[in-house]
Amino acid sequence: MQESTFNELSDLALRLSGQHIAASKAYLLEARLSTISRRENLATLDDLVHCLKARPNPRFEQEVAAALSSKKTSFFAERALIEKIVTQALPQRLSHSKTGRLRIWCAGVSTGQEAWSLAIRLSEEMGSALAGADIEIVGTDLSTQCVETAKSGTYGHFDVQKGLSIHRLMTNFSRKDNGDWTIGDAFHQHVNFRRHNLLDSARELGAFDIIICSNVLGGLAPAAQRRALETLSAQLLPDAYLFTAPDEKIEGVSSLIKPSRALRGAFERDTTDKKTAAA
Amino acid sequence: MKNCLIVDDSRVVRTVAGRIVKDLSFSVTEAADGAQALEMCRKEMPDAILLDWNMPVMNGLDFLRALRREEKGADPIVVFCTNENDSEHIGEAIRAGANEYIMKPFDADIIESKFAEVGLV
Repeated sequence: MQESTFNELSDLALRLSGQHIAASKAYLLEARLSTISRRENLATLDDLVHCLKARPNPRFEQEVAAALSSKKTSFFAERALIEKIVTQALPQRLSHSKTGRLRIWCAGVSTGQEAWSLAIRLSEEMGSALAGADIEIVGTDLSTQCVETAKSGTYGHFDVQKGLSIHRLMTNFSRKDNGDWTIGDAFHQHVNFRRHNLLDSARELGAFDIIICSNVLGGLAPAAQRRALETLSAQLLPDAYLFTAPDEKIEGVSSLIKPSRALRGAFERDTTDKKTAAA
Repeated sequence: MKNCLIVDDSRVVRTVAGRIVKDLSFSVTEAADGAQALEMCRKEMPDAILLDWNMPVMNGLDFLRALRREEKGADPIVVFCTNENDSEHIGEAIRAGANEYIMKPFDADIIESKFAEVGLV
């Protein structure tokens, strides 16, 4: 790959998804764009960039940017985080809810395993206070292709064997004739997926009790990370929680969100009046 | 170091799985069928058993049932690793005392994930 090709693609990712791609990660580009290159009969990434420049097409650019920002995920990838949400964050939120309705946003959910894992774990809370709650999970991702996979709830032989115990697989999925596995219909009542770019407003998604955005913000350039944090924090209900991956480095925490006092490892919207505090 | 007994009539599968399991810090022993595996378990129970289903002499399911009847035969964590991928076979294996189930083909991530599910890593 020519250096100019890397520069073009990394600029595109930065502009459309806020993703910062370090030169040391250039080797990842070919794998992430292989599906698009194959479909378009483009032999090299140099050809792909040539195509992008020769025939400007915003939709195609978005698709390429989404593919560049895709994250590899698996079921229960953030197991401890899911446990904390199910056993601590949601019961806390439920105890303050008048309606018994709770909303969770999995932002940057890729192919959906995080959202389905949370739904599966919640279905196991039959005897707890959460059993009677009306819990909606909304998963979003920049990539239309990822969102379609997530919506289908259908995963291949290798995907269902990473992070899912055989008990959870047998209880919650059914095997199709082609060897793929599909999550049970009942889960679709509580889980839905939409395309959304974290650099855009998420007002149309509504407000949430819990937002999970794991292994997304850390890959964004500083300005994009701040913009994404603005988007996320704007959708947090009062005293609601934002979770990132435990080891994820987040800039700008002090001005938009702050570590929660009520729940270790979570963030809350920082509603401190900075002017008043300064005065 | 924990020991894992790999039971499979395919030498290639034993070699490939053995390398993966060694990378997870296990010592590895091998058996080519259920009868051979049972003899080895009677001498020394391994911590984990990666078990194929279809094998000559004694198949994986018969081995597992016999193992669980042995003194200390409840101790090893048994992970089936087989081409039998339908829910009937999986259910039968679990009822016979399997702790986890890998559907072939497998890769290193699958073995690590399944071993993690049962607390082996």
